[in-house]
Amino acid sequence: MRKTTFPKVAATFVVCYAFWILVTWSLAAQELIAGAVVCLAVALFTARFFIHDKGFLLLQPRRLFALIFYCLVVFPGELLRANVNVARRAFQPKIPLNSGIVKVPVHVQSTYGRAMLADSITLTPGTITMECAEDEGQLYYYIHWLDVLEEDPDKAGDMIKGRMEKWVRRIWD
Amino acid sequence: MSIALRIIIDILLVVSCGFALAGVLGMLRMPDVFNRMQTSTIISVFWLLGLMVAGVLFAALVMHSGSAAVKVVLIGLFFVLTAPVVGHAISRAAYISGERPYTPLKPDKYGEDKPYDKEGII
Repeated sequence: MRKTTFPKVAATFVVCYAFWILVTWSLAAQELIAGAVVCLAVALFTARFFIHDKGFLLLQPRRLFALIFYCLVVFPGELLRANVNVARRAFQPKIPLNSGIVKVPVHVQSTYGRAMLADSITLTPGTITMECAEDEGQLYYYIHWLDVLEEDPDKAGDMIKGRMEKWVRRIWD
Repeated sequence: MSIALRIIIDILLVVSCGFALAGVLGMLRMPDVFNRMQTSTIISVFWLLGLMVAGVLFAALVMHSGSAAVKVVLIGLFFVLTAPVVGHAISRAAYISGERPYTPLKPDKYGEDKPYDKEGII
């Protein structure tokens, strides 16, 4: 089991407290003190589950910039492209279907990065990540794809992941 | 409320409702579990993002309430974080419990490799 260290508790506390202030949206002294007590208790118990790596990894300017750029530009772009495609499919009189499950290699080391990439793929309509499994030392995603255009793992990977994998690696690796 | 702002908010609402309609139609018309999950991600994400932007504009510029705007953003954030997890869980559970589409999956790498057997789940 992972150990609870001070940087982990501090990082969890900062995240909890930021959410507390955003949700209560007031800077009155009693709100701030109650928030600090609750957040400290929560952070002590949950820090070892929440943080697997160095606590303040994301605060490095390079990673922070990559994260913001990914959330505001790269991901919505991919989302829009895929959304229009699937929405058009739903309105057609006879739904064109060509679905299957493809196997796609992943080159992300960090576990957070893997989860983030899998979730991004699922959020883009047309693809759902079903499983993340290791095969002969290489990590693979099994992805259900609405319209299979390519069965070769590497080419299918390029089509599904697009620019997302490069940016996820910039954030977490 | 200025008329331009009103028009922008209304357009965002109408576009989100259009995507929600596409999502619901897809859910009803698609033939099997996996394809239904695919269209449900349209509903949960794109529809929500449009609605969220409209909500933030309305809360910040019309109601002049910062707390409402922040809460709208937080609701959107948590929705986007939890929706894909449900997607993985349902599709994987459906596959492992033996659900197969009417028209066979082509290719079906998951069924060929069976990684869930190696982990000793079944």
